[in-house]
Amino acid sequence: MLSIFHSLEISHYIYLSTVLFSIGLFGVLFRRNAIILLMCIELMLNAVNLLLAAFTEYMGDMQANGQMFVFFIMVVAAAEAAVGLAIIVMVYRNTRKTDVSFLDQLKD
Amino acid sequence: MIAIGIIFFGALVLLFAGINKEEARLKTLASVIFGLGGFAIWAESKNIINTDQLFAWVPSGMIAFNPTAQVISAILAFMAMIVVNLMPAVNRKGMDIVGLMMFSVCGGILMVGAQHLVVLFLGIEILSIPLFVLAGSEKDSLFGNEASLKYFLMGAFSTAIFLLGAAFLYGGTGTLYFHEMLLRTSFSEHFGEFPVLVKAGLILVSVGLLFKVSAVPFHFWSPDVYEGSPNRIAAFMAIIVKIAGFAAFAQLLSSFAPMQGWYSTWMLPISIITVLAGNIAALVQNSYKRMLAYSSISHAGYLLLFLFQPIQENFQVLGIYLLSYGLGTAILFYLFDKYAKSEDKSVNIFTGLAFSNRLDALALIVATFTVAGIPSTIGFIAKYQLFTSAFTSAPWGVFIGLLGSAISISYYFKPFRVMFKTESDSQPSIQFSWSNACLLILIASILALGLFPVVLNWIF
Repeated sequence: MLSIFHSLEISHYIYLSTVLFSIGLFGVLFRRNAIILLMCIELMLNAVNLLLAAFTEYMGDMQANGQMFVFFIMVVAAAEAAVGLAIIVMVYRNTRKTDVSFLDQLKD
Repeated sequence: MIAIGIIFFGALVLLFAGINKEEARLKTLASVIFGLGGFAIWAESKNIINTDQLFAWVPSGMIAFNPTAQVISAILAFMAMIVVNLMPAVNRKGMDIVGLMMFSVCGGILMVGAQHLVVLFLGIEILSIPLFVLAGSEKDSLFGNEASLKYFLMGAFSTAIFLLGAAFLYGGTGTLYFHEMLLRTSFSEHFGEFPVLVKAGLILVSVGLLFKVSAVPFHFWSPDVYEGSPNRIAAFMAIIVKIAGFAAFAQLLSSFAPMQGWYSTWMLPISIITVLAGNIAALVQNSYKRMLAYSSISHAGYLLLFLFQPIQENFQVLGIYLLSYGLGTAILFYLFDKYAKSEDKSVNIFTGLAFSNRLDALALIVATFTVAGIPSTIGFIAKYQLFTSAFTSAPWGVFIGLLGSAISISYYFKPFRVMFKTESDSQPSIQFSWSNACLLILIASILALGLFPVVLNWIF
């Protein structure tokens, strides 16, 4: 298992997670549905998780600090998703849609 | 640490005690909890009490408060107390709003004391997640919904960027502890070149924090969110998030002090743009609340000017500025909330204020003076110290800062044009109320700290 990990260079993991992160980033910037935006943010967080796990493995960090960080990110992402979905439900009750195009009323 | 404990358990008690009670009835308990927490951590900074034994179980080095960080945490707790006391409570049962504010303050204190990237991340999230809920606490208002959704999306987005930066920093330095990062960066300074991962990580982490403190390329969410949320929550956000965010940012940057020459090359333009854009945008706003939002952006610019220089020795200058900003902003939001009852949200709400309510007029003058930095208030002392200590590293930045303050006078003083017009023939009546007592204390402390700055040495 370990040998599979090390047969790739760390730079591949950095490129992969940067690409995943960018997909999420562009999704947040260009999609219009609030639930898809939430999914894109989760994708960004998971790209970071992959990167942290890979760094921990490659640096031989005995305390596995990076992998501990991954668990914290997963917990916080779950909390964030819970609050975010609640907010989207609240918006849906008032406007009957989950589209972010409604976010333009507060311009004077 | 002690403050986090007191406020957290206090919030639990308050949530259970207030299940079926009006919010106004438990205000006293809430302010006692905030006051106790703030006083405890301030007393700890003065070595009056010592709670190291109590928190021996906390992994060493992850959370550490130096005396100035303790005072800034105390300021956080007292500012929350002021906001809860000054602004009127909502008229419904349950203490959930104040309870969430308390959890949010816990996160802010965690950010101030963070010495480890995981703790900083958790602090940011504990500060933000209650605020997403609070911004939408008026569930039927479409503006509140919009503010909440916008704040949530921007907050989660900036968190993701912050985390990518944190992962890069971990990859570049091999550690998550701030003090070890300082060692590694001084090590690579010795060899002349900083790893590209560390540079990219520092940029991304800074972008995440700049989103939180609403510096200019990343500020677009903040006026909308402030305008859409209830006034009390907007005041809370403007004060608490900014104090905690800047304290954490200062700690983080000071652990990369050897790279200072490199990061000031991009921090200086950001702070100059923030000062100019914040002030010029505030100039053309019609709504007073939007103007306050842009003024808080320009204050973020002045603070950024100060951040990119060696901070360790004059960390307390930051604390004094944040204190003065918090006191002034709290009063201005309170007055806006009190007089903006109709559709009209411009400065005309203050018409004839000097004749109808003398105390509020005095408060408006003093608070405006302190956010604009006029002598005899604490705002002047704070701005003077900030600019003099920033002058050595960024003379041009200070020049722009002074220009920005000059612009800011013209929009801060707008209410004064209508304040002395007699329009209403209502009798001046000042009855004693809890908010008025708080207002008097705030005015007195702004003037006292401004006239006798020696008191600041005793606080810090």
